Amino acid sequence: MGELLLKADSIDKHFGITHALDHVSLTFNKGEIHALIGENGSGKSTITNCLTGIYKKDSGTFTLDGTVIEPKNQVDANHLGAAIIVQEIGTLSGLTVAENIFLGNEDMFISHGIKNASAMNRKAQQYLNEYGFDHIDAARSIDDYNFEDRKLVEIVKATYFNPKVLVVDETTTALGQKGREELFKVMHRMKGMGSCVIFISHDLDEVIELSDSISVLRDGVYIGSIDKADATVDILKKMMVGREIGDNYYRTDYGEAISDEVVISAKNISVPGQLDDVSLELHKGEILGIGGLSECGMHEIGKALFGASYFRKGSVTLADGTSIDSIPDAISHSMAYASKDRDNESLVINDTICENICLPSLEELKKGGFLFGSAMKAFANKFARQMSTKMTGVDQFVSALSGGNKQKVVLARWIGKDSDLIILDSPTRGIDVKVKADIYAMMDNMRKNGKSIIMISEEIMELIGMADRILIMKDGKINGEFQRSESLSDMDLIEKMI
Amino acid sequence: MDTTVKKEAAAKVPFLDRPIVRTILPIAGFAIICGLFYYLTNGRLFSSKSLGLLMSQSYMLLISSIGVFFIMTMGGLDFSQGSMLGVSSIVVCYLSHYNIVLAIIGGVVTGGLIGLINGFFNVKRKISSFIVTICNMYLFRGVCAYLTTKSPVYGVSDISKYNNLPFMMTFTVVIFVIAWLVFTFTGLGSRLKAIGAGETAARFAGIRVERTKMLVYMAAGCITGLAAFVNSVKVGSVTSTAGSQLETQIMISLVLGGMPISGGAKVRFYNIILGVMTYKILSGGLVMLMIPTQLQQLILGIVFLGEVALFSDRNTGMVVK
Repeated sequence: MGELLLKADSIDKHFGITHALDHVSLTFNKGEIHALIGENGSGKSTITNCLTGIYKKDSGTFTLDGTVIEPKNQVDANHLGAAIIVQEIGTLSGLTVAENIFLGNEDMFISHGIKNASAMNRKAQQYLNEYGFDHIDAARSIDDYNFEDRKLVEIVKATYFNPKVLVVDETTTALGQKGREELFKVMHRMKGMGSCVIFISHDLDEVIELSDSISVLRDGVYIGSIDKADATVDILKKMMVGREIGDNYYRTDYGEAISDEVVISAKNISVPGQLDDVSLELHKGEILGIGGLSECGMHEIGKALFGASYFRKGSVTLADGTSIDSIPDAISHSMAYASKDRDNESLVINDTICENICLPSLEELKKGGFLFGSAMKAFANKFARQMSTKMTGVDQFVSALSGGNKQKVVLARWIGKDSDLIILDSPTRGIDVKVKADIYAMMDNMRKNGKSIIMISEEIMELIGMADRILIMKDGKINGEFQRSESLSDMDLIEKMI
Repeated sequence: MDTTVKKEAAAKVPFLDRPIVRTILPIAGFAIICGLFYYLTNGRLFSSKSLGLLMSQSYMLLISSIGVFFIMTMGGLDFSQGSMLGVSSIVVCYLSHYNIVLAIIGGVVTGGLIGLINGFFNVKRKISSFIVTICNMYLFRGVCAYLTTKSPVYGVSDISKYNNLPFMMTFTVVIFVIAWLVFTFTGLGSRLKAIGAGETAARFAGIRVERTKMLVYMAAGCITGLAAFVNSVKVGSVTSTAGSQLETQIMISLVLGGMPISGGAKVRFYNIILGVMTYKILSGGLVMLMIPTQLQQLILGIVFLGEVALFSDRNTGMVVK
């Protein structure tokens, strides 16, 4: 125990513009079960997929047992001593169980160019029996087995050659009680042989019970590691969700009365797989915060209200009874929406700042039925400057701007449109502190001018600091509601999230 | 860390992506081709006679390029133009026996309907425009061939009275001015460019993407209907091959004019005229030099490939919608 086995040094990985792993360094010891936890999208699967050759890392090194490994694919990783049981189905349809187990290693059974299928089946069956999975017939097609049995086959596939490192990526959710026990047996056996098991799971109780040490990732950044002895579910949750420190740029007022006037109400909105019968109301001059874990459905609420959700059921109506069913409906009734997905949804990034700011206001910018380029430029300039956007000019392409300045362009567009109802999804995501403060000040200003804001955010402190009212979502439903108060703590909210 | 990397990347704009280079290169290409053929043909290509001939051959291509220009601006493609022109020309010739205005309207409606079919399959059935228009290219070439099986469809005998420079020039210029006004001063250009540069973001900015696409495919068909009238006036009859290869000529022209093949924000209206002129001088010059047809195609192919390689916008990728 305690002897270094695997060292991940400054692993970096981008998916397009998403920084999935930000120079993550981690160490794993011999003979331990090392849990990797974090929210969805925190980079747990990404780093283990890089380790096992499924993804190619951008930079950084993995050192296994003193040698740097650069697996080209999964089979190569197996030969180097790293194996993985993946989150999704990792077996190939149309092949037999035995063919799946020895995928990429068929050479073992090939002599003089001919594959000895019966030898392969015999060997596979022997392994299956050793693991106690003798109800699975190696010669039969994998399609004859259910999801759980396929996972068992994957366990054999990943471990029969006794890898030095085994990654178990979110496998337990796919397994029933018996399957889990089988998996845990294998994990403990691996540990006993001096290997390291990297265990990825969302079930924190299970994590604490099984692991020797636990590392936490958040948004592609390594947060810290903790020993089993020190771990409690609360501590882990706090590490996973994270907190913003230095919150002196939030609103400072408390106890202001909110108008009774409802500006928009959503009744029983559902979106398959995302939202389940959610109803809410937004009042005039209110900042309504919506929080939760990434996958709780809160991001879909913004789209559903804005008429941008294709499969929405239920109704969204304004105070005067107008129903909002499409984006043009929403925009023409003074609604605005800034998406979390800034580069794909909020902005046409391969277009100029001018066009981006003017797009929703083209009709208003016409003079005598004609739209002049000069009017567009003047308009764009006015609002880009009002937001103090750093740019070389409004002809600059948005793709060249930093995240904060992109967001300023998005906001400039809607301020220019003079929208009364603004939905901001993760308004400060990936934005530095200074621009954050600008955005908060702008929101406070808008609120005072009688505009209503929905702020969807993954940052708990931002919700507590800015919102008049907070809805916390879990699994597509509203799971808790909090009023603005000085005594509101992050733990109150976290409790409703997880 | 992340932002500094992006800033560095932004500072180093590749030579070919600089706006000024993108503007100058097609103009320089036009000048070089003019100069080259002036030299190679000892100035014959630019005699008033051959220029007039060149002009009279350009009207059809000029007009039909407008519609494809709109489609390509929003990131689509249209390969069905040639067949569309063939079928529309048949309608124009047939109706010209009754009334010439009716003939024009008939051509426009026919083109518009075919455009609507393109739009329907692209927008409602979500098939890429590349595939849809290639299918319709074959389909309507078939229609065209069927209708001209026994004999070519002849227009009314005095249709050729319109085949004179003042009429054709005015006809073409009027269409261009209208198209330019609509593209530049109604916000249509901004909307189409936004769709080409990022369809999802365009949708979130309140643009009715589906409706716009349908309309543009239909409008492109209507404009080709007008080109079919020009074609009928010039030729007087329609055979099964009328308008074949038109789609590639349009595509080559637009690309020669500096149009990014994936559309988007870098599109300029003058790309059409500059491109068609470059293409016509290039192909006219090759004919005048008596280069065999097969070799002409080879040369045009090489030029096309070269231009596409230079002008494709690698940031947006080669996504055909």
